[in-house]
Amino acid sequence: MTEHVTQPSGVILARFPERNGRPGVVYRNAGDSFLLVEFGEMVFDLTMSFRVLGLDDVIKRNRPAGLIETIPALRSILINYDCRQISVRDLIDFVEDQYEHLPPFENLVVPSRIVELPIAFDDKWTREAIARYVQYQRADAPNIIDGTNSKYAAMYNGLRDEEEFFRYIMATDWWNAALGFFPGLPFAYPLDPRYAVVLPKYNPTRHWTPAGTVGIAGPCLAIYPVESAGGYQIFGHTVPIYDPLQRNPAFRESPVLLRPGDRLRFRPRVTDDELEALIQAVYDGTYQYVIDETATFDVGAYLRFLQEVDPEAKAFRQRQAEAAARVPVP
Amino acid sequence: MLEVRNGGFETTVQDYPGRIGMLSLGFAPAGPMDDYAFRFANVLVGNLPGTAGLEITAGGLVIAFQDERAIAVCGADMGARLNGQPLELWRSYLVRAGDLLEFDYLQGPGFRTYLAVSGGIDVPPVLGSRATYLPGAIGGFEGRKLQAGDRLPLGEPMTDPAQAAGRRVPASLIPSYSGYNEVWEVEATRGPQADPDYMTAEDMAFFFSHHWKLDAASNRTGYRLDIHKWQWARESGGAGGGHPSNILDNGYPVGAVNVCGDQPIILCIDGPTLGGFICNAVVAKAAMWKLGQMVPGWSYIRFKEVTLEEAITLLKQQDETIHESNLERS
Repeated sequence: MTEHVTQPSGVILARFPERNGRPGVVYRNAGDSFLLVEFGEMVFDLTMSFRVLGLDDVIKRNRPAGLIETIPALRSILINYDCRQISVRDLIDFVEDQYEHLPPFENLVVPSRIVELPIAFDDKWTREAIARYVQYQRADAPNIIDGTNSKYAAMYNGLRDEEEFFRYIMATDWWNAALGFFPGLPFAYPLDPRYAVVLPKYNPTRHWTPAGTVGIAGPCLAIYPVESAGGYQIFGHTVPIYDPLQRNPAFRESPVLLRPGDRLRFRPRVTDDELEALIQAVYDGTYQYVIDETATFDVGAYLRFLQEVDPEAKAFRQRQAEAAARVPVP
Repeated sequence: MLEVRNGGFETTVQDYPGRIGMLSLGFAPAGPMDDYAFRFANVLVGNLPGTAGLEITAGGLVIAFQDERAIAVCGADMGARLNGQPLELWRSYLVRAGDLLEFDYLQGPGFRTYLAVSGGIDVPPVLGSRATYLPGAIGGFEGRKLQAGDRLPLGEPMTDPAQAAGRRVPASLIPSYSGYNEVWEVEATRGPQADPDYMTAEDMAFFFSHHWKLDAASNRTGYRLDIHKWQWARESGGAGGGHPSNILDNGYPVGAVNVCGDQPIILCIDGPTLGGFICNAVVAKAAMWKLGQMVPGWSYIRFKEVTLEEAITLLKQQDETIHESNLERS
């Protein structure tokens, strides 16, 4: 049942309340070529991503003429369409129809590759980016201790030291909810809430971050695919996830390594020298990325896992909140 | 073959509408900043409007031709000369092997000019497009701007170059560009995060009336506007972050006005595809060309609010305007 709304400002095109346990939907005007579809409330809820990617999948499979592409994110899908071929009203009706018929998400089993990435922590590239920031941008940033962000990251999350912080990064798989900003940049969230570290952003943002840098802001982990500015706290370095020259078999199909719905796993831990050799091997075409192409993700099983670990996760969040309150933000 | 003798300030191969369908992997579409001049240049030489041509920013390009072709230059006046003779803008010419085309620097209003060659620039398409996407170092000629010594292959002309030459765009269809320190009026709709949920009605009234100065640090990825103290409708960004301009990351429409803290930035065609700041307005697709002719550090912008329906009408009118049947024989 379509229920179009017109706000005085014209921003909200349609709004549907929660139905049968499915989060409500708001359709927001995003110009003459885009429509933003938002689900539920603005809270961090990773399970929303499973619904979004499930819906995104059926939208793509049943796409009407004029729907150019979809850009899924944690709790939204931005739709790029040709307004000369399909009206925004028809587009909303189409998406509503797909959402209506989406199977209950507890039963979803979605394709989700497992991608293993070697990581060096507090490596020379990260230290160089931080050193430049101290020299040229801000010398008294509280998030920089001994030329790193990792000591601060440990303090902010109530962890013993940077080594414990690194263990947390490696202890959980990271759900890649979306790619974007720059080509191939993953927006990945921790699947195991017992290790879900959080961090504030840089202030001001960094002018320079080398490609391959691993960072976190809020609950989200990113890998910088190209040399760029950046606002995340940075603590590690990995192999290339973007290669426009497609020099490794992993990039044969696309210069972008990762996809929405991938799970990232950081292993093994390597030294700077080892990583440098691996990066060279990527470009030589001899490095073999460790990717389980056929893995699937069972949402029901994951929801049961969340319940099991809930007491531990709550305890960690409590410890985190107490620690964060004692630590200055940048 | 086109032989580049001097690449100028920033000359790139572009096609229209660019690399479509890759936003969800983090690739902005790229393409010409001023698609009106770009498409008309192609129509003048008998190409399809989206055929690959050159975007010349600020000037300085010098090229030599090795074939008989129709060419046209549309956009800002850079004092173009063909074998030393002044070349009229918005008009098609016949060139022969050995002819030399030289661009000086900006002679008046406008910032970019476009060269179309019958048959188009035949660099290999990358991910479905010949457009140069500089942040990803992909597409166009080796993923970069042109430099002396580059040799660009040309495609087969669809029409006889001698027939395509000698035509012009009627004066009534040649846009006039606002001068230095003058105001460009740019049609825009409200964006997905405007009033009343994210900004106040007063914020939006200010937004649509202020003469925004275009910052010198602006390029194909983003146009930075002046800092403004917004009222905001929210106290904070909630789960998205501490500042009321923060949201949980979502897809960004191309042409959105992205408010990062206090600073609005227009996301241009090489811009970020996803992120965690609000978009309070979206430039109408039919008005995007104006961005291409603004001068960073000098131009002012006033956003003129249009409805979604008005934006679509403008787009349809523009498509009808950029048509061979509107050309005159000169």
